[in-house]
Amino acid sequence: MTAVLEVSNLRKSFGGITAVDGVSFKVRDGEILGIIGPNGSGKSTLFNCVLGQLTPNQGEVRVDGKTTTGMRPCDLNRLGVSRTFQLLQVFPQLSVRDNLIMAGQEHQGSMYSRLIGSPDAGLSDAAERMIEFFRLSHLADEQVGLLSYGQQKLLDAAMAFMAGPRLVLLDEPAGGVNLTMLVHLRERLQAYHAEHNATFVVIEHQMEFVMALCTRVLVLAEGRLIAEGTPQDIRRNPVVIEAYLGH
Amino acid sequence: MSRLGVIAVVGAAIFAIAAPFFLKPFGIYLISMWTVLTVAAIGLNLTLGYAGQVSMAQGAFIGIGAYTVALLTQAGWPYPVAFVCAGSLCFVIGWGLGYPALRVQHHYLAFVTLAFSTLVFLVLRNEEWLTHGVYGISGIARPTLFGWSTGKPRDFYFFSLGTLTVLAAATWWMLRSPWGRAFVALRENPLRAQSLGLDTRRYTLMAFAIGSGLGGLSGALYAPLVQFIEPNSFVLDLSFNLLLMVIVGGSGYFFGPFVGALIAVLLPEWARITEGYYLMVYAAMIMGMMAFCPYGVLGMVERAIKAVTMRGDPPTPILHAEGTSP
Repeated sequence: MTAVLEVSNLRKSFGGITAVDGVSFKVRDGEILGIIGPNGSGKSTLFNCVLGQLTPNQGEVRVDGKTTTGMRPCDLNRLGVSRTFQLLQVFPQLSVRDNLIMAGQEHQGSMYSRLIGSPDAGLSDAAERMIEFFRLSHLADEQVGLLSYGQQKLLDAAMAFMAGPRLVLLDEPAGGVNLTMLVHLRERLQAYHAEHNATFVVIEHQMEFVMALCTRVLVLAEGRLIAEGTPQDIRRNPVVIEAYLGH
Repeated sequence: MSRLGVIAVVGAAIFAIAAPFFLKPFGIYLISMWTVLTVAAIGLNLTLGYAGQVSMAQGAFIGIGAYTVALLTQAGWPYPVAFVCAGSLCFVIGWGLGYPALRVQHHYLAFVTLAFSTLVFLVLRNEEWLTHGVYGISGIARPTLFGWSTGKPRDFYFFSLGTLTVLAAATWWMLRSPWGRAFVALRENPLRAQSLGLDTRRYTLMAFAIGSGLGGLSGALYAPLVQFIEPNSFVLDLSFNLLLMVIVGGSGYFFGPFVGALIAVLLPEWARITEGYYLMVYAAMIMGMMAFCPYGVLGMVERAIKAVTMRGDPPTPILHAEGTSP
């Protein structure tokens, strides 16, 4: 199976602290890969290096065989790599519909053609479908800043899929979300994966969420990869239990 | 736009067309100044209100535009060509001024633009070979377009009102396009905007360039309106006054600059009935206004309408990105 994302020997230090230390892994086409690890294990730094928010000190990142190390996040997104953040990142003063159109409009033509194009960049129908898919129809025209945290988190995830990405990296999608919304979010991600054979990488602390969603799991501790396997293998791995689960 | 909004705009347009027939020359001069400064305030509202980039240099761009038109028309260039040159020159300089915004934000950026404003003043004052220094440039002619002379106050008012209408319509078109949504995204959450493919660098530069270009076009109207320009007209006071117009009218509201400029141009004149105290009275009025409606006049109107329609359920105090919804 071809690798959508390939990370080779990635290293990132902040002064004397090495947050990511020689991490290598591949993400295969159509899989949902989970990355877990205790707080401070380097998961988000790894994401930020892969996604161009941080420049790694060493190593290489390839998307579909193309080297993307150090590429700007906007250019990476146009290559088909989308993401969500650990903290909620939406546009609170725009409506749900406008947030979704915003999430896709930069993929429609050039910057200058969008100036003379239609106000919705031809994305109203696609936004409507995404609104229905994530069951946000009753909130479509609401200002996002007025929605609950869970609803905003759901929209945050929906925005990552708006441009039909090749690869989606979700940074703690379940963080701060109540149990009902969590089940809904997981079920929607699974449904999207089933419909589009999409490739996800998920960083998450919520173990049940990761174990139910992911097909393969990587475990990071102190910036290093300490285990890899199916969710069942990871549950039983004594190194992981020692380093992370602790019980 | 809501039905109430359409009625308000049509009513304001009728008032703007009829007003000069009931005013004396000084009154016509004041409303002409309103049209000229509204163009610059629309530009600043784009840069600050929509794209969230602080600029304290809009007054300097009016100066650059005014001097460009004055020098070129006195050298025999046709006014329309000088007008385009003023806007284009400020667009290019504004693009350059946008580069610091890629590295610094908020009050740090304000200081960068403030320094630029001071630099422009020094160039206008000291480069006498070009600008005539403190003596300024006098006798700037009002244009004649297709045989229509705008020399009389009322004619020039209609010329500047027409120019304002065209520039405002073009800005409205741009803000209704995906660019408007992109500018708001840049203001609200540049990190997320970038992760969604938005080239924040290019949009930041564009917001500065277009806003500055509108400042230059405002200057191109300012010069023939006052017919005499000198460096002191474009000091920091003017940039602060334009900032006041945007904030008082409602930052991020399309019609905010129209209302803000009206208040900033007319309120000091009305306060003159208090004679020597008029600046103190004006300052007190502005402070009172900002205390009671920190989101500007249009922000207050929107909140009042929402409060009525939501039957006492007060809306969250957040800005409204008008003109960005499809």
